Amino acid sequence: MTTTRLGLAAAFPPDTLHALEGLLGAMADDELVLGYWDSEWTGIAPMLEEDVAMSSLAQDEIGHARALYALLGELRDEDPDHLAYDRDVADLRHARLLDHPRTDWAFSIARRWLYDEADAVRLEALAGSAFSPLAELVGKIRREEVYHRLHATAWLRRLADADGEPRERLLAAWRTLLPDAATVFTPLDGEQRLVAAGVIAATNGELETRWRQDIGGTCRELGLAVPGPAADPMHGRTTHGEAVAWLWGEATMVRRLDPEATW
Amino acid sequence: MTDEAPESASVDGPPATVRQEPWEVFRQEKEGDPMTHGGSVMAPDAELAMHYARELYGRRQESSRLWVVRRADIGVLEDPDLLQPPLDRSFKKPGGYVMRDKLADARARTGATKKVASDR
Repeated sequence: MTTTRLGLAAAFPPDTLHALEGLLGAMADDELVLGYWDSEWTGIAPMLEEDVAMSSLAQDEIGHARALYALLGELRDEDPDHLAYDRDVADLRHARLLDHPRTDWAFSIARRWLYDEADAVRLEALAGSAFSPLAELVGKIRREEVYHRLHATAWLRRLADADGEPRERLLAAWRTLLPDAATVFTPLDGEQRLVAAGVIAATNGELETRWRQDIGGTCRELGLAVPGPAADPMHGRTTHGEAVAWLWGEATMVRRLDPEATW
Repeated sequence: MTDEAPESASVDGPPATVRQEPWEVFRQEKEGDPMTHGGSVMAPDAELAMHYARELYGRRQESSRLWVVRRADIGVLEDPDLLQPPLDRSFKKPGGYVMRDKLADARARTGATKKVASDR
């Protein structure tokens, strides 16, 4: 299996392979950071059932990250845990949308909805990837994401349609998140090569347009602004700030005690 | 890096205006099995009740089907006069007939072997 996957990847020119690694790393970091933020609700979600649901969703995202790091690890012949955790926070390449802390429930729901809808567009563009191990993995991830999107949309509607505090909190979250919403589609180095090689069906610019078309109807129906372009596109996946530095300290705390330990 | 979570949110419970009610969850472990009562979830409506049932009774792939029913929609019969009447009803139970010896005789006559549960 490993030989086959490496063989498939070896068929790409080095530049394309490098771009593929960048894509896998960015996607994995997105899922890992969102998974850790949402796991911060464990034990304190608004109600018991939602506590289980949010924790389970967070675990799903970390599971997606794990599978993506494993694929990246095969390409680089490196340990996935090492790739994921033995890094300085400055080396993370998640979208700026995921830099914001957990904040309140409306904020976590708004972020999850914006991200899940963007992720869905990205996954769709990878479903027929010429790099078949990725297409295979994306097929499985998309089946889990069906439920994630139902859950996020159900909550977004309830918050948007409720009068008073729930809607006010959602609007506050929207104001904070909107300038960063489109950063999921920050152009990646060499992405034109990935499109040419059939690894991904479209550039991030094209995917961003699709995403805006997809979510436009729901946004207008709920009286929410449709996200514009990223406010700071130059730092869409870099310069992550204090909140993520704190989160990363938490996430890697045990591993840093003894990186060589086996569990 | 600090020890405190940034902008930690308030963790108030749901507002009093959100009316939640119990929903009963029935689950089928695998296709063909009977539906059995799994437990219950609290939810404000059918859609979220379905999501929570999925998380509490299906997230570990332990179910192949779930039924989610509003508890208020279930017809309940628990009147002891109807279910546990005080007069002797033992004549309605099959325990009066001891089949074991008769079956053994019949098997002896026909040469059949005793069926085990897995043959059924």
